[in-house]
Amino acid sequence: MTERRACIVAGGQCKWGVREAHLIDLFQEAAKACLDDLPTLKPKDIDGLIVANSYGGRCSFQVNIAPVVAERCGLKPTSICTRIDVLCAGGSTGIILAKGLVESGNADIVMVAGGEKLYTPQRWEVFYSELASIDHDWEAPHGLGLPPPFFALTAMEHMRHYGTTKEQLASVSVANYNYAADNPKAQMQKKLTLEEAMNAPGVVYPLTLYDCCPITDGAAAAIITTEEFAKKLSDRPLVYLRGAAQASLHSVSANWPGEHLADWIHMRIAAKKAFERAKLEPHNIHVAQTHDCFTISEVIEVEELGFCKKGEGGDFCGSGQIEIGGKVPVNTDGGLLSCGHPFGGTGIRQGTEIMKQLQGRAIHQVKDACFGLTHNLSGLNAEHTILIYGREPVK
Amino acid sequence: MAVLGIPILEDLYPSTMDMWPIEAKEFNRVWPFYENLKQGRFTTTKCKDCGFVAYPPRVICPECYSENLEYVDLPKKGKVMVFSEEVKGVPLGFQSPLIHAVIDLGADPVRRLLTRIINCPAGALKQGDEVQLTIFEIPSIPIEKGKAGTIMAERVFFAFEPVKK
Repeated sequence: MTERRACIVAGGQCKWGVREAHLIDLFQEAAKACLDDLPTLKPKDIDGLIVANSYGGRCSFQVNIAPVVAERCGLKPTSICTRIDVLCAGGSTGIILAKGLVESGNADIVMVAGGEKLYTPQRWEVFYSELASIDHDWEAPHGLGLPPPFFALTAMEHMRHYGTTKEQLASVSVANYNYAADNPKAQMQKKLTLEEAMNAPGVVYPLTLYDCCPITDGAAAAIITTEEFAKKLSDRPLVYLRGAAQASLHSVSANWPGEHLADWIHMRIAAKKAFERAKLEPHNIHVAQTHDCFTISEVIEVEELGFCKKGEGGDFCGSGQIEIGGKVPVNTDGGLLSCGHPFGGTGIRQGTEIMKQLQGRAIHQVKDACFGLTHNLSGLNAEHTILIYGREPVK
Repeated sequence: MAVLGIPILEDLYPSTMDMWPIEAKEFNRVWPFYENLKQGRFTTTKCKDCGFVAYPPRVICPECYSENLEYVDLPKKGKVMVFSEEVKGVPLGFQSPLIHAVIDLGADPVRRLLTRIINCPAGALKQGDEVQLTIFEIPSIPIEKGKAGTIMAERVFFAFEPVKK
């Protein structure tokens, strides 16, 4: 028997933003966008469904969402039909699990769909619901639901230890907004100047408006299958899931594993493992989608991924290394800052962008991209998830 | 407590959506933490078998999985390592300024405790300032007790405040 190798063959998303739609509507739009990307694939061919969704139980009073999504999308899965919740990393986790299922022979063609409907009829509920994102009894009662205060602390630690400047943070929002300016599915579609970013209204010092990703309704879906099925379904270059890792060393901030809040040792551990499994090194990566929930996150992520030295993330981002033509173009479709962040949908959006980059059909194409990476942090920086994609399989 | 306009919730309060912990012993095996807090003590669990002190308190030792635990006192004063002040867009249920700090209580496992700082005006806190534990009442919640009827379980929670110089 030949080795089964997982590939991503299709991906799509609905329009992200403040949507006049139900959670289940968004999943249907995403499933259609996904199959529109691969017209040879029909709903009846799909034998597995993994739904990444965290807030259905809270915002739509719907738990056990997988059969609901399957039915409305015309799917009749016979290998797997389940929902996962890893908040911001749900989509990437679904892709990791789908890889395991198809490579082990427990499924053949899996749709990984992720999304959230966060805006509720009374808008205050969004902000209240966010308290559920973190350790309920030990951190939410300190008013830490929405994460700007935590990432403000992180930014101050990075500034103190490494001399990172507000202008370097602003350069991340400028790069990512400009990437999304022509992305029709993005929540924010406008060019941003450094001056606008520097003069934006404050959120929590030192973070200002464009340092923070928006709250988003939206969904995305992708198809994970074997190399063999991928070849039958499509003539496009194959994009393999080479390696992945997910690390969680703590939940409550008191047990933070690093030296300080700008030292993300759990991300380094996940990166090391993912690179080992992918048999690649940081310098091999041509394009990356990292979790820019805040500008400071992207600054730290390019360091912990090994794209630059620890402490030099501000300079790396500020000197254009994350832009097309730079050392590693990052968040080439606009990232969380501009596309928005419907938690379960984000990893699928990222994987889809990397697939398009490696197939040479991205809007902001990185020339000859062969290896790409996605990264998510989830919770109050409690977990890191990394996936590495390649035009060639691991040998 | 009633949610007017939604018939099923009129005169009812969904306590599972409460932002505060359900602290009562009927629903929580780390209830001694909250009982100690009511007495002015800041405590956590220590393993009587291997000696490991864990925070937050739990019902098993995370090192050796023993259930043989005791509650021990933690320091109640510490120093501010880094802090943030949220003035606008403070979440529902909190007042501006909402100040968060990572504080060092000087002993493991609370060398880096993330907490809210209260009783402190905006712009007054400095890195290195000394802060101390402060305990406050939070709303009671109703708990059904069978034939005994519904009791109102009293609750407290904690934050830290600047030490007056």
